Amino acid sequence: MMFRVAVFISLCVSIGVVWIIESGAADVFLEAARPDFQKIPLGIAGIENLGGSETPEGRVKPGTRIEEVLKADLRRSQVFALVDLPSLGIKVGHLGAEPDPSFKQAAEKGVSVIAWGKAGINSGSKDTDLSMDGYVYDTGSHEVVGGKRYVGSTSVARLMAHRFADELVFRYTGEPGIARTKIAYVSELGTARELFVMDYDGYDPRQLTADGFLNLMPRWSPDRRFLVFTTYRNRNTQDIDMIELATGKRWTLVSQGGLNITPVLSPDGNSLAYSSSHEGNAELYRLDTRTKATQRLTTHASGDLSPSWSPSGRELAFTSDRSGGPQIFLMSADGSNVRRLTFDGDYNAAPVWSPRGNWIAYVCRTPKKEYKLCVITPDGQKHLQLTTGLGVDDSPSWSPDGRHLVFSSTVEGKSQIYMINVDGKDLERITFTGTHNSAPSWSPAS
Amino acid sequence: MKKLSASYLPLILGLVVLGIPACSKKAAVRSGGDAQAFQEEMARGKGGAAKEGVSSSFPDTSFSGRDGSNGLRGLDRNPSEERLGGAGGNAGASSGAGHSNVMTAKADAGSAARQLAEIRAEQIASATAGLRDVFFAYDSFSITDEGRQALHGDAEWARSNPATQLKVEGHCDERGTSAYNLVLGEKRAKAVRNYLVELGVTPAHLSVVSYGKERPFCTEHSESCYSQNRRGHLVVTTGK
Repeated sequence: MMFRVAVFISLCVSIGVVWIIESGAADVFLEAARPDFQKIPLGIAGIENLGGSETPEGRVKPGTRIEEVLKADLRRSQVFALVDLPSLGIKVGHLGAEPDPSFKQAAEKGVSVIAWGKAGINSGSKDTDLSMDGYVYDTGSHEVVGGKRYVGSTSVARLMAHRFADELVFRYTGEPGIARTKIAYVSELGTARELFVMDYDGYDPRQLTADGFLNLMPRWSPDRRFLVFTTYRNRNTQDIDMIELATGKRWTLVSQGGLNITPVLSPDGNSLAYSSSHEGNAELYRLDTRTKATQRLTTHASGDLSPSWSPSGRELAFTSDRSGGPQIFLMSADGSNVRRLTFDGDYNAAPVWSPRGNWIAYVCRTPKKEYKLCVITPDGQKHLQLTTGLGVDDSPSWSPDGRHLVFSSTVEGKSQIYMINVDGKDLERITFTGTHNSAPSWSPAS
Repeated sequence: MKKLSASYLPLILGLVVLGIPACSKKAAVRSGGDAQAFQEEMARGKGGAAKEGVSSSFPDTSFSGRDGSNGLRGLDRNPSEERLGGAGGNAGASSGAGHSNVMTAKADAGSAARQLAEIRAEQIASATAGLRDVFFAYDSFSITDEGRQALHGDAEWARSNPATQLKVEGHCDERGTSAYNLVLGEKRAKAVRNYLVELGVTPAHLSVVSYGKERPFCTEHSESCYSQNRRGHLVVTTGK
């Protein structure tokens, strides 16, 4: 019975979906991940400001800020299509906890979900707290299906919006959402390059290392507690270190002379794959993080580097120049069954396997000698160039939902960090300060 | 019609998950004391194991998979108050684990200043010795005739200063990936080292390090700049 109701509601809604979304815009990539996925039309009926207080972030009132962040999150989610409610004659703002009568027409106008809320400073309490109430209305059932009440210091306005956005994504897809994810990256400070972590939308950058020299290519542990990365001990030898985000505590995992680069933990956290030249030239190794035993995976006179685990942990993609210029290869996680994946062009490197397993993103050199992002299916059947234009694109990293990539690019001069959808749309720059930001790594979802 | 029916899926899923109450994950508690001790440790030297090889002591990174709660509590008709931790504290009471539990490094002026002083000392020693750099073609680690000439002078200096340790740095221009340029930089540094050894420099007096494209000599996006960055740079090591 419940199921039949759901289908009925969805039917009403879906007619609207087709009606309101520009058809044909449905992208190849999402179709590959979820056949015939249509974005869910959602309207934000305002996050009203209560009391007239202001956030320390600027002169913007908290409700206004939360609404702006929430809309950006929902747009990036790729799950929802944001609908402009006033243009459909649906009331926005000055709402209480109850839906406005105008919401009744929303379903026939193709809107599935309406969310709204209010936010303000609670001056009555001992601490000066920001609170936010959010409400979610389902146009199919004509009722408020749930809400949230968040309280915190005024510095967490953005987090309130991120959590509310993820709750919406979770409710309608069962996925955790990406609005609370983080991006680790490298930023230049003077002549040094240090590790930083920021929110996925570029806000709240935090510096993790202060060594005064080079720290390179951070990667998250699957439980989000640690980053593994390359660091230069005494400026002369490269070690692989691990840092704990909550404490800043640091451990050296590999210190053996030569090049020790591109470390990455397996999806189960039990293996660290990395490239080392301590036995001659750059080869791939696998460190068992429980027994601390190492296993050499490649034996070749050419350079092997940049390993990336398949989501199952059974295979690795990597860069090798065994066929001349660098190309992408695949092999089993024990080093067997090596086969070449890329054949187009003379420079393909830095592969990263998508969390859904269906694509491998990498840096490809175009015929015009530009370094751009490409994606290829693991069977090599389909490959596409995602970015175009000038500049060097580098270090692609997938969002945990597999719908976006973050990468560095010199397209505007200095190296900065950008985000792009897997369909090549919605290119968005997310770092704006500093002389050099690079090597982004997207955290797993919480 | 087929297309239509597939678009129900998210909504159906949404309704199905509606009834499942999400449980909150226990938030990690940050210890200020540990962080302080760690900073002191960093100031003295480097934390963690410093021995050669693979470390035997680091925390377990095993991951058994998400617990399904995603740290979210779900929407509720009568929502209870969720307190969110934020910048500068209150992480322990937070249901927003993963947001606020990132420690911010205190700038270690001592470490940065020491590194800078050592780099300057090396630069002065190298300039005084009159050591010359070797430049490479795009994508190449072959030493050119001009490079060989430069290295003849460098080798002569090294042979007549046998007490000195030389470091060969391999550098690349900004084109290509960061990781592959580290491999290319090492190939360049090793090519220079090998040629110096051919010219009679004791191998034990030579070390190699690759900086890839991470420490460029100049930062413009032009060939005249790129050609200066594709180099093997010889440095008199003054420290350890």
